[in-house]
Amino acid sequence: MGMFDRLAFFLGLKKREASVLVIGLDNSGKSTMLNHFKTEDQKTTDIVPTVGFNVEKFKTKNVGFTAFDMSGQGRYRSLWEHYYHDCQGVIFVVDSSDKLRLVVAKDELDMLLQHAEIRHRRIPILFFANKMDMRDAVSSVKVSAALGLERISDKPWHITASNAITGEGLHEGVEWLTNQIKENFGNNMNR
Amino acid sequence: MIGSFKQAKKDEEDGCGNPYHSVDKTSVLQEARVFNETPVNVKRSTHVLTKILYLLNQGETLATKEATDAFFAMTKLFQSNDLVLRRLVYLGIKELCNVAEDTIIVTSSLTKDMTGREDQYRAPAIRALCRITDATMMQAIERYMKQAIVDRAPGVSSAALVSCRHIMKDSPDVVKRWVSEVQEALSSDCVMVQFHALGVLHQIRKSDKLAVTKMVSKLTSSGPRSPYAICLLIRIVARLIEEDEAGADCRLFDFLESMLRHKAEMVIYEAANAIVTLRKSSARDLAPAISVLQLFLSSPKPTLRFAAVRTLSKVAMTQPNAVTACNLDLENLIQDVNRSIATLAITTLLKTGSEGSVDRLMKSISSFLNDISDEFKIVVVEALRALALKYPRKQAVLMGQLADMLRSEGGLPYKEAIASTIITIIEDNPEAKEKGLDHLCEFIEDCEHTTLAVRILHLLGREGPRTRQPARYIRFVYNRVILENAAVRAAAVSVLAKFGAQCETLLSNVLVLLQRCMMDTEDEVRDRATYYHAVLATRDSALIHRYILNPPQFALPSLERALVQYLRADTSAPFETRAVPTAPPPQEEKKAQNIMEVAPRQEERVVPTHEKYAEQLSAIPQFANLGPLFKSSAPVELTESETEYMVRCIKHTFRDYIVLQFDCTNTLNDQLLEAVNVVVEGEDWDVLLYIPCPSLPYSQPGSCYALLRIPEDIMATTGTFSATLKFKVRDCDPATGEPDTEDGYEDDYTLEDIEISVADHVQRAARNNFAAGWDELGATNELEDTFALSAMSSLEEAVTQVTQFLGMHPCDRSDRIPEGKSAHTLYLAGTYRGGHEVLVRAKLALSDGVTMQLTVRSDDPGVSEVIASAVG
Repeated sequence: MGMFDRLAFFLGLKKREASVLVIGLDNSGKSTMLNHFKTEDQKTTDIVPTVGFNVEKFKTKNVGFTAFDMSGQGRYRSLWEHYYHDCQGVIFVVDSSDKLRLVVAKDELDMLLQHAEIRHRRIPILFFANKMDMRDAVSSVKVSAALGLERISDKPWHITASNAITGEGLHEGVEWLTNQIKENFGNNMNR
Repeated sequence: MIGSFKQAKKDEEDGCGNPYHSVDKTSVLQEARVFNETPVNVKRSTHVLTKILYLLNQGETLATKEATDAFFAMTKLFQSNDLVLRRLVYLGIKELCNVAEDTIIVTSSLTKDMTGREDQYRAPAIRALCRITDATMMQAIERYMKQAIVDRAPGVSSAALVSCRHIMKDSPDVVKRWVSEVQEALSSDCVMVQFHALGVLHQIRKSDKLAVTKMVSKLTSSGPRSPYAICLLIRIVARLIEEDEAGADCRLFDFLESMLRHKAEMVIYEAANAIVTLRKSSARDLAPAISVLQLFLSSPKPTLRFAAVRTLSKVAMTQPNAVTACNLDLENLIQDVNRSIATLAITTLLKTGSEGSVDRLMKSISSFLNDISDEFKIVVVEALRALALKYPRKQAVLMGQLADMLRSEGGLPYKEAIASTIITIIEDNPEAKEKGLDHLCEFIEDCEHTTLAVRILHLLGREGPRTRQPARYIRFVYNRVILENAAVRAAAVSVLAKFGAQCETLLSNVLVLLQRCMMDTEDEVRDRATYYHAVLATRDSALIHRYILNPPQFALPSLERALVQYLRADTSAPFETRAVPTAPPPQEEKKAQNIMEVAPRQEERVVPTHEKYAEQLSAIPQFANLGPLFKSSAPVELTESETEYMVRCIKHTFRDYIVLQFDCTNTLNDQLLEAVNVVVEGEDWDVLLYIPCPSLPYSQPGSCYALLRIPEDIMATTGTFSATLKFKVRDCDPATGEPDTEDGYEDDYTLEDIEISVADHVQRAARNNFAAGWDELGATNELEDTFALSAMSSLEEAVTQVTQFLGMHPCDRSDRIPEGKSAHTLYLAGTYRGGHEVLVRAKLALSDGVTMQLTVRSDDPGVSEVIASAVG
């Protein structure tokens, strides 16, 4: 990368592009979460279950995100792995009011972490403990414990309670992800 | 530098300027990794995707793994918003979706595109989406499809409608729910959308005749604006008129006629074409349509001229008089620069022309025959054949023309058409026989087509011995033995034997010739020569007759099965050939459609053959010991069409038993029938066994059987049976077909009577030489009777009725009656159950009804009696 480009990035004149994978069980609020980041005129009012995947684009500060919004339904989860190879970050959305299926979410997470494409990469993972407004929602700490996040030592991770409908907590989480990705870019550059 | 330039130039010449000509599958799939790059490299991805599409369109196939990998790599290109790349992705999805797995992954992305703002994306996204969506997922996209059908953009709406027609194939029920949207699209402003909407609407309602009639009557009064839609409507209307047997609906026909005055040429042509191809049109109905076509004949547009002349040539086959009015215009078209138009014009003229104009037309034909392709030459030959049958007096001229054509260059189909035309003329007109045989003999002297040579030789063997000078043909036949390949030599040997068998004077010479053939290098030729020589050398007329003139004709598969059975059982007794059914004579094969008749025919229901039935029945343990199957009748409907239950009956005749097979279909979707049985009752007949059908779900055909013993008394072997369908009904859910838990109730349903007639005991048999067979059977079991068939008004009718009634096969082409004769002799041959040979001679005379003198000969007195009494 040329000197000028590096300067441009440093000054925030030129945007970086990053692609992230948005995964999680069905009905956890992935598409709703991404809908929140869209500009006012692109927002859709009704969110239907995703079949397969959708590509969404949004930007924060100086990173442009391309998000692969994957379908969370059981029979399509096996298709996530096709997109592991070229993502620079993972957003894992958990329905914190669905205590019963937290174990299922943990299974899926374990499979993600064990996958050959993910295991040896220092890839940031952002967890949204979504639907925090629901009465029977558990706290982000409990979600973290249920998913066994403390075991993850070789990757940066972060968990945030969120409400995808109002947008509460989303920006905080994505800000963390942005910083992580920028850091990664920086490391790659210095290497 | 110069060298590389030369190299590049050479490449250019080799590849004809095709940049993709050296593309290789493996390397392209490697290159497809570029799709995974972030951000997307639009330029390279476009290039690689184009290469993949090129390969697929060249017929390259990908393995499932390869295709799936390429497919998933391609899905990542959805990141890019490049217009060209995205549309290539749609194409890629459509190409790969049949091979790759999990193509469902792009569903959401495609639905997003089809509901999005970019019109360029929407139509192709719909088409791609409908390709990847299977019947189970259809519900998920239903809402979007409904919106797309009524979309304001015509391209989107058309894409959705056309996709509907594809979906109809797999899940018709889903599309049926979209009727109201389709109807709305029908009133769209765009001509294409109207056309597509009408197509879908018709397909939805196709099975419901009432709905189609309603739709048509509404549309014919309002009339869509789109000429394409009107053309389609005209076709639907024409089909309705055709199907409507009760007499044409005037309004429908008036609609067709009014469309002759439409603004658009295509509508006018379509209407005219529809009117003239209707089977029911009378000459008066045709007149306006013909005059429209006549106008088109002088149109400056070649397509219109071609369409008009093609339609006229079709009409000329059935109603030549109606086309005579156009003769002048047609004659002008002979000089047309487009040879296809000229050919059609001349063949039409041949069909309509009068006897006087034949000579003139012949001249113009020979002048342009060299310019046209074989296919059109065949059309001309077909026209000549029709002409020869129409004007027997002109046959000499035509025969000369045909012989000239036979000598000229041409492929096998062309030569075959000429030869069969000559054969038709020979068979039709005994006076032309010798001349025609001479032409054919001359032709086979230098014929490179084995099949044709064999066919002509066979004809020589049949017709040659009965001419005045059979000796003339021996030379031609023996030349074949010396000069040709093995197949032709073998055929020639058989022909020689036939000459020897029928002409006493030639016999000794033929024996010498056959002796020489025994030295042949080919097994088959030697075998035949030895066989025929041995038979002829006995000079025993009965033997010669039995083994050369009318050799036994067994149905080979049945013979094989009978022999296998014989070998398994006791082999001390000699093998009984009588029990083996004879091969039914070949049906006259349908003429291959020539290029001029492309009218699509509805596919007929395939009737299983004798063999199939025999196999099916012997698979049922109760029927395994009945012996070989003698005959199976054609299916007879025992119910009206469109009733609750449909039953067809097939009668299988064995030596001593008859099996009635009932094919039942349940057309009520809320009922499950169990223990379905057809109970039959008739005098003197014992029902030995019923095999019921255990369960009959909605619309799945099932079969039940009844086994009857044929009475000993041969005069009591015909009869009428009353039949009742008995079954147990269980109500069930129409959607799932799951029956209710409660027990069902018994019910029955009266069917039409079943008739077992003489024809069920008789198998058609072919006789090459009726007269010889007749003499051989002798007068020992002869019966003769005279009948007055007062209900018949023509000889043709009497011939068909008698033939059908006795279930026998007309020999020596005696089912064709020369025109204008008032007396005719019909020769019938058949095999009675048990292997008894039966021959019938029926002398018919037309006199206030038809009088028939029926003479029956057979090798069993009882059989003769049955046949003779059958008509009375």
